[in-house]
This record gives sequence, C-alpha cells and structure tokens, in this order.
Amino acid sequence: MEHIRLPKVENVRLLDRVSPKRSRVGTLYLTATHSIFVENEAGVRNETWVLHSLVSSVEKQVATASGCPLLIHCKNFQVLHLIISREQECHDVHLSLQRLCQPESFEELYCFSYKPNVDEKERRQEWDFLDLKADYRRMGLPNSQWKLSPVNQHYKVSDTYPAELFVPESATPPVIVGSSKFRSRGRFPALSYYSKENHAAICRSSQPLSGFSARCLEDEQMLEAILRSNPRSDFMYVVDTRPKLNAIANRAAGKGYENEDNYSNIKFQFIGIENIHVMRNSQQKMLEVSELRSPSMSDFLEGLESSGWLKHIKAVLDAGIFIAKAVAQEGVSVLVHCSDGWDRTSQVCSVASVLLDPFYRTLKGFMVLIEKDWVSFGHKFSHRCNHLVGDPKEVSPIIDQFLECVWQLMEQFPCAFEFSERFLITIHSHIYSCQYGNFIGNNQRERIELRVRERTHSLWSYLWMNRADYVNPLYRPDHSQTQGLLRPSTAPYCFKFWRGLYNRFDRGMHPRQCVEDYLRAIREETQQLEEQLASHKEKISQLEQDQVWSDTWIPTASDNSPTVWAHGNDLGLVNTPQDYTGGFITSSPCQPKAPDGALILVPQDLNQTTDSNFSNGSDQESGIADLSCRSPLSEDSARDPDSDEAAYSAA
Amino acid sequence: MASPVSVYNSNALDTHIPSIPRESQKMELLANVSLLPGEDRIIDKDIIYICPFNEAVKGKVLITNYRLYFKSSDADLAVTLDVPLGAISRVEKMGGASSRGENSYGLDITCKDMRNLRFALKQEGHSRRDIFELLFKHAFPLSHGLPLFAYVNQEKYSGKGWSIYNPVEEFRRQGLPNNKWRFTFINESYDLCDTYPTVLAVPFKSTEEDLRRVSAFRSRGRIPVLSWIHRENQSVIVRCSQPLVGMSGKRNKDDERYLDLIREANDTPKLTIYDARPSVNAVANKATGGGYEGDEYSNAELVFLDIQNIHVMRESLKKLKDIVYPNVEESHWLSSLESTHWLEHVKLVLSGAIQVADKVSNGNSVVVHCSDGWDRTAQLTSLAMLMLDCHYRTLRGFQVLIEKEWISFGHKFSSRIGHGDKNHADQDRSPIFVQFIDCVWQMTKQFPTAFEFNETLLLTILDHLYSCRFGTFLYNCESAREQHGVRSKTESLWSMVNHKIERYQNPFYTLDSGRVLYPVASMRHLELWVAYYIRWNPRVRQQQSPVEQRYKELLALRDEYLKKLEQLALSDSTSSHLANSPSPHTSSPSQQLTHLHTPF
Repeated sequence: MEHIRLPKVENVRLLDRVSPKRSRVGTLYLTATHSIFVENEAGVRNETWVLHSLVSSVEKQVATASGCPLLIHCKNFQVLHLIISREQECHDVHLSLQRLCQPESFEELYCFSYKPNVDEKERRQEWDFLDLKADYRRMGLPNSQWKLSPVNQHYKVSDTYPAELFVPESATPPVIVGSSKFRSRGRFPALSYYSKENHAAICRSSQPLSGFSARCLEDEQMLEAILRSNPRSDFMYVVDTRPKLNAIANRAAGKGYENEDNYSNIKFQFIGIENIHVMRNSQQKMLEVSELRSPSMSDFLEGLESSGWLKHIKAVLDAGIFIAKAVAQEGVSVLVHCSDGWDRTSQVCSVASVLLDPFYRTLKGFMVLIEKDWVSFGHKFSHRCNHLVGDPKEVSPIIDQFLECVWQLMEQFPCAFEFSERFLITIHSHIYSCQYGNFIGNNQRERIELRVRERTHSLWSYLWMNRADYVNPLYRPDHSQTQGLLRPSTAPYCFKFWRGLYNRFDRGMHPRQCVEDYLRAIREETQQLEEQLASHKEKISQLEQDQVWSDTWIPTASDNSPTVWAHGNDLGLVNTPQDYTGGFITSSPCQPKAPDGALILVPQDLNQTTDSNFSNGSDQESGIADLSCRSPLSEDSARDPDSDEAAYSAA
Repeated sequence: MASPVSVYNSNALDTHIPSIPRESQKMELLANVSLLPGEDRIIDKDIIYICPFNEAVKGKVLITNYRLYFKSSDADLAVTLDVPLGAISRVEKMGGASSRGENSYGLDITCKDMRNLRFALKQEGHSRRDIFELLFKHAFPLSHGLPLFAYVNQEKYSGKGWSIYNPVEEFRRQGLPNNKWRFTFINESYDLCDTYPTVLAVPFKSTEEDLRRVSAFRSRGRIPVLSWIHRENQSVIVRCSQPLVGMSGKRNKDDERYLDLIREANDTPKLTIYDARPSVNAVANKATGGGYEGDEYSNAELVFLDIQNIHVMRESLKKLKDIVYPNVEESHWLSSLESTHWLEHVKLVLSGAIQVADKVSNGNSVVVHCSDGWDRTAQLTSLAMLMLDCHYRTLRGFQVLIEKEWISFGHKFSSRIGHGDKNHADQDRSPIFVQFIDCVWQMTKQFPTAFEFNETLLLTILDHLYSCRFGTFLYNCESAREQHGVRSKTESLWSMVNHKIERYQNPFYTLDSGRVLYPVASMRHLELWVAYYIRWNPRVRQQQSPVEQRYKELLALRDEYLKKLEQLALSDSTSSHLANSPSPHTSSPSQQLTHLHTPF
C-alpha cells in the first residue's frame, strides 16, 4: 500500500483501442493488487480490472489539451489507453503503477496475498490434484529399463532439476553425477517421455561441456545407457535445437555439442530454433503489428512476416514433429538439448509429447505436461515472465510460443483436443498473473524454499473445477484424427495469426458469431438428454426387476402392444408439452398398432392437458392396462413422481 | 458416425444424377466413367499425366464434348482428373517431335480454375495431333461453330431453376411498387438499354420521357434504377453506370433532376453517390467521355471507393495462382501473398459494400456506379444487399440475388469468363464474380450461422461458372440470353442445386431476425480461401469441415435421444402418478430444446 501515491482519480477517460473516438469516462482506483477503472455512465456498472502483476509497462505520454495520456501495456496483451485530466495526477499514477507492477521480492507477489474462499484442507488438496508420478506410471514406468533415481534428492546434482527423475536402469549414480559434471548447470540426460508401445524415449539435458575436444566417459556411458534401454533400436538421435552457428560459438566458451565420433551409435542433428533474445524481439515486432489500428494489407502481412514470429513457431513445431516421428514411426529414442535445456528443450519435448500422446491433448493431460516439461524441469518462469523486477534480457516469450504451437495444432485438428482456445489463453494469463503459485520462481528448489505449496493456491485445480468452461465442443476421443500421432501440415498458409490471444481485448475485432457457442449448446443438450435417457433406463430396469419379483406380466419398453400405447397416452399428458407434439406422434414406435381412437386422441390430449381429456382418453382398454400396470408398482409410486421431476430439472 | 470423407474435393463437379454409362470398347480403364446424358465420347488415348505433386503418371485420357477425363493405369498411384472442358482457357503443344528429354512432348493446358495440366505422349508418329485438334475444337466450341455443352446437355432436374427469380415477385417481396416507386416496362424490347433487364423500378415521379433522356447521359444507357429498398426507412440502393460528363464537363438537367427524385423518395437530406472507382480512374474516364457527378448535383455527395478495375483484378489473381500452383510459396509466404494484393482488393470491395449497407440502414438512399455499372457495381450492390436483407442469405434468396444483381443486370459473364472462346488473352476476361464469391465466403466465415448455404454451394457455383454445363452463367445480358433461347434450351444450375438441396445446407443456420450483418473488413480477419484457391494441392486436407460434421452429428444424436426418451416415456409413464397433475414447474426436455435452439 505504501507505493500508492493516489488511490483514486476522477474524470479519467479510457480510450477504445480500435476506434479511439469512442471513449468512456470514469474513475480510476489504485488498490494494492489491481487498478480498477469504473465507468461513470448512469445505469451501467462497467468495471475494468487490471492486475498489477500483469502490467508490463506504463508509459506517460506528452500532455495534450485534453489531458495527459497514460499507456498501460499488459502481459496478457491488454492495452489501456487512459487520459488523465491533470498532469500531476497522471504523474502520481504513473509512478505508483511503475512500482506496483515491478515487485522486488517474491513476497510481494499476488499469490501470497490471494485468498479465495477456500479452507486450508481444500487448499492443500489443490496441490495434490496433479501427480507427476502417476503420469510416469501411465507411461509404464518404472519398468525393467527405466528407474526412478533419488540422485537429485535435495537438488545436489542439479539445482534446477526436479528431485525425482527417471533414468535408464543401467545408469549408476557415479555415471549420472559424472555426466552431470559434463553438462551445463549439471542438467544431465533424464527422461521426459516414454512410449510404452515401442520403448522409445525422449530424454532431455543441457549442452555438453565439450569445448573443442573435451570428452567425458560417464556422459558417453549415460547416452549408451539411454540407447540400450530401447532394445529394439541400434542407434539414437541427439537433437540440438539450436542453429548450428550458435552451437559452434558455444564451443569457444567450453560448451558445445556432442561429437558423433565420441558417442557410440548416435545420430546428431541440428534443428535451428533461435534463442530467447531473437524470440523476444520477434514477439515485440509481431505485437506492434497486432496493435496497428487499421493496418493496410502490406502493413499487416509484411509486418507479420518481417517479425519472423510465425517462422519461429514453425521451427518449434518442425522440431517437435521430427522427434515425434522418430519415436512413433522409427521407434528410436531421442536426446534433446539446447544450451541450458530449459527453453527450447522444454518447447520441443512438450510439442513432441502433444503430437505423440492423445493423453496430453486432454484437459488434465495438458496440465500434467506443463507441470512436467516446464514447471518441474525448471523453465525459468519468474525470469522469462518478468515476475519480479530483474534483467530485461532474461525475459522471453518461450512459453507463449509453446501455447501458440498447440493453438496452431488445434486449428489443424479441431477434434483432437479436449480443451478449447480459452483454456490456453487462461493458462497464458495465469502464467503471468502470479495469482497462483504454480509458476512462481524458476525451478522446483526455489518453489520449495518459497513454500509455495503451503502458502498459495494451485491453478490446475481451479481450471479443473471450472473445466466446463474450457471444454472443446468438437472434441471426439473416438475420432480417427484423435488417435495416436498427429501429423500436422507445416505449409506456410497453415500458420495463422493468433488473434484470439494477441488481440484478445480488442472488442470489435472478433467474429460476431462463434460456432463453438452453438456446438456447446447442442452438446449440452445432448448430454442432458443422455442423462435423462440413462435415468429412464435405470428406472425401467428397476421396473423390470419389480416385475420379476411380483411375478406378474408387464409390458416393457420394446413391447409395442396396444396396451402399452395406452400408457403412452398417459405419459403424453404428463410430460410432453405442446410444442413437442409432432415428434412425439411420428416417432412413436407404437403408432402402427395403436387403436384408432387413441391415435386421434393423442394430439388433443397433448394440447389440452386437462383432467376431462384424460378421462376421455382412457377408454376401457387403457383403463385396464392402467390397473394391471400400476398394481405391482405401488410400493414405488410414492417416490416416482419426485424422481421423475428431478431428472428433468437436473437436465 | 461417418468418418471424414472428401465430400467436396477436387473434382467436385456434381454428377450425382444417374447418368448413362456408355458402351466402352477396349478401354476398360475408362469403362466406368459416368457420362451425362447428351455427353459423347470424342477420343481416348494412352497418355502420361505430368502430375506436379507426384511424378509422371501413366494412364488413359478420355475427351468428350463436356469433359477431359484422365485415369491412371497404375493402381498404386490412383490419380483421376475430371475437368469440364469449359474450365480450359488455353491448350498448347509442348515440345516438338525432336525435343529431348523424358516427357517433353505433349500438351500443356491452362485452366481458368487455378490449375494447369500437362500431358506427355509418345514422340513418334504425330501422336498428339488428333487429340490436340479435337481438344482444341471441343474446349472452344464457339470458336469452331459448335454449340456450348449446355445446349447438348440432356440432364433434367426437378428443381425448376429458371423460375427461381421473377423480377416482379422479387420487387413485390420488397414491398414495391408503392407511392414513391413504380415499375416500368420501357425496356421491354431492350431499346432503352440492351444490357438491362426488361422490368425496372424507377422513381414514381419520373416519366418515361425522363428515363429516355437520362439514358442518353449514362454510359450504355444504364440509367439509375432501384435494386433494393429498405422496408422500414424506405431508403434505397440504386445502381447505374457513370454519367457521360466528358472532358468538357457536360451537364444534363434531366439526370440531375432524376437523381433528386431518388433523394426525395424518402426525404434523404443528401443522396450519397458511391463511385466504386479510385478517383484517378474516374477522372481519367472523362477523356473517353465518361466521368462522375460534380457539384452541379446539389443535395448529393460523391464518395470514391477505390476499387480497382478488371485488369488489375485479373493480374492480381494471376499472381495468386503463381504463388499457390503447383507449389505453395514457402519461404516468404506472407509477403508473397501481400504482393498479389488479392486480399487487399477483397477488403476494398467488402468495405465499400459495408459503407453502402451502413448508409442505407441509417435511412439514406444511395446510388452506386463504376464505369459501366456491371462489375464493381454488381459486387457492391449484391454484397450490401446480402448484409441488409436476410432473405438473400437463404439458399433460394442467394440464387435470386445472383440472378438479379449479376445475371439480369448484365454482368458480362461471357466476356469475363470467355465461355467456349479460344481467345485466352482477351483483355475482357476478369475474375470479378470469383471475387464476389470470395467476399461472400469471408462473410460466411464471420457469421457462421447467418447463411443457410454452405461452402459447398459457393464451390459448386464457381465450378459451374466455367463448366458450361448449365445455361445460368452464359452470355452477357438478358437480351442475348433471350435471343439464344437459354431458358428453353438449357438447364439452370439452380435446378440441380435445388434438386439436392441438403448438400448445400449449413447446419448452423439459424433463422434470425433481419439484422444487418457488418463483417469486419480488417486484414486481421480476411483469410485466403484455401479450400478454393489451393484446392488442387494434395496437402490441403479435403474434408468436410469437422465443425460442421460434428454439429450435424450432435443434432442427429439429439434427435435420437429425444426419440428414445419418448419410447421410454411411453412405457414408463404409468409408473408415476403425475398423470393427473402436470406440474408447471417441471422443465421438460423439449422446453429446453426450444430454449437452446435459439440461444443467441
């Protein structure tokens, strides 16, 4: 609170980014966690909340006659263009926000003060929602070839790795430790994904400290162990995701890449993905294009192309495809690294996993994947996402690129993902928001020290609780497209500009109608019907049981004798409203055999659900049927009306 | 559940009417080609198709008076081509008897529908002479004194396509005539304007004499006439050609007064004249006697919409073809796409139409013209009408729109497409109508529930724009069509479409109130229509839109569940004692149904 110089400013104008002539007048409030703009318009209570931790920059522009403009850029690509009438006020807001959006210590982060209405027990359960070991079990691990190694307990071997790692069965602690000494930051080769079907694995590490000629026996043994853990394959790929020039340059610093001659049976491969600095600049340029008010075609297309952004996305996807194919089609294990093995390596391993395994294309699987390849393997979220004031050169949209790769895949395979675009956008937003503890810090060790599990909430369980909002209505787990390896096209026209993320807050720039809404509605409807169907079936089976017990004859659903028709007649009165008449009659299975009188009466009954009609409808025959039918059910009948109603109201 | 099948893929020219398989002699490969009634085999031959996506494919080619059909003989490399001859713009000989290299001797065929075909033959014995000559003759029948296939075609459909559009009925639907607008039959024998239809709607106060005088001042006599009227505010879209102002800046009081009558009809304070051209072009047109409305038109404002002419559009699409066929430009895709300017042209046409629609829905009458009023004008009026009037967004309404604004008002289909004409370099050819369909497609992308028709209809229309199988797009204007007996001697495309209308229905369509659609003509929204422009590339997944498919499945599932529920309900009912007291609070499945049916 001490950083807020001015808690409230009146008469602030918020300009619409798409059409700046439109603006809203209101009051700006600064709180400890949010800036809140409240529109003054009579009758509407329109509020815009911006979390301080989502603010990436605050820019005060030269004052004009109309006031002093303040431009707030957010990490979720929201841009607020405020005009504050008095310059001094603008100055105060500027200074306050600048301080508020750049916390200096972890303790200031929002997750430590975010207290939703959840009791402590539930909060603890949130953190148990995802279990990485369960995912390894799902892959079939541990098994005879791969074991859980305790070598990194207390983060002694690599302080940026998780405590629990899977390594080849034959890799002894001395081999692991030796290998780790030959790898940047001790990030030795460890398992990221294992294919149960053909025993091929994706392993990840950092670059070897090979310099121009250095060798390390243990490291060579480590790779040998990985190779041997896939008994059906006589070689493995080592993929360096850097451009070759960058890798060579690293040799001068005593780092570098594997020499094929020193390692037995490896095939070494460069797949050039640019480094974090190139990606940061590229995104910046791309965002400039996305912020153009009404770009001409050349502004837009040439701007987009010269930003190189989509080219970089393609590079990441290409690398993922290479690895996924190696694993799924060739059955060959792959070791992936870049320099430190926490940026490009995370991207490529996780993209490959998404392509390979349908589980990672489900809601829960995708959370597990991020938890595994990004959070646990030490992608430096706090540095890359600028959670704290720090070195701007460490900031880079690496995780954005991964999410975008998945989005591009969703565009190509609309039925293959259980989650929707909204899920990706929400995750993106919370990676930056610091509202949840999941992405705080740069690695597992830091999070343990910050006692994140004890003090904050977990995003994953929040997303899971609200999963209905994130489900892709097109998802079909049984579809051929959904099974096994995804084979995306990388033709240039397949890479689209992700308007939904980068222009997310520009209302008026989005399609006016969304097919997904329709799909969602119809899907809900079918689900409701399915539930009703199930409850009816249940009831029928109950009825049938009752019959067996009472040992009397009773018509069943499939029986289309005239007697049953008469029952239907009754039901028509009960449950079927008028607008439903046509379908009811035409699709009735009993119609052909129905007595003429009943057939004629049904529509009337449906239209006028009165007692008199009811008595009209029950001719002698149906009256008999009624009796014969109800008697054995008498014990049930007291409960039935309620349950019937519940089925509908739940629907 | 159906798996994704290539429903509207490559050779999707509809042949779903039972056609007569002809007796085949020795060519068992071609034995199963189903020909249309009236279609005759001309020649067949062993040939090599030089497929740009694979290698050369051996097979047999069949030429009929309607199509070029190729089937590979190699079972592993199944390639089939089925190209209506109407889609061919150019046939050339490739290589000579002495040229070296494999497959260097043969035929090179350029198509109007974004592809080229190359065939190789054996070099000895003038093996291509006969096929070249026959193909040339039948691909360009009008240049060889032969009839277009539409006149030979014996297909019959129940669809009654020729009666889909009746101008008087359509005007009646719009609420005309009324006390401000009347019908005139002054053009009954096409002597006022030979490129206009016979029935026209003009201001009530204008006399036949006025119309004649105005026609003298408008290029090709295309006087301002009503295209569409807004039911509530009575503002109108009027279309015409440019005024014949010329270098000397001629004036015509009758024309000025006539435009003022249009303005008066709904008390628009200022009539807006949209000149579709860039202002430079409009000025340049003065040199050839044309021009634009100047200050002498009081109570009118002139707005230029900067849409380029037919030549620019032709070159733009040609450039687009260069970057997508046969191979898609990889390294600089976006800047290559930019350099074609195609999307920019689409954007300008759309944003022009948006301006027109916006003006009209705000109660201001507009006049739209370009130079002759049959290219850009047709694009603008028809797109604006599509935005304003939900009737045109239905399957039949869209057919009416095309029949009305394009066909009856004399978009020169024959010249723009070059039906049956060998002169491939004709400067009159231009993809104006393709561009219009592209704009419609862009709108359907932005409003997926507003249109009763689907992408298949748009693709089908474009296929038959070239095919010459139907009379719908033949000739330049109504008078020529009448002269050639198109309605009596040929079948209408709409007959076929309406015969199997479910094929063209958009499952997402929801009949909503007559809202005005304003698409976003921003570069962020316009997309290249890959399913059309890159459709020949095997990398383009040819599948029914999974979204559409999924929705259909869900609809089917819902109906199935509803049915089952009824069945269950039938047997279940007597168990409950609700029969006597239907609770008003009970929410039933079908109440939910109606609620969900129109959720937005």
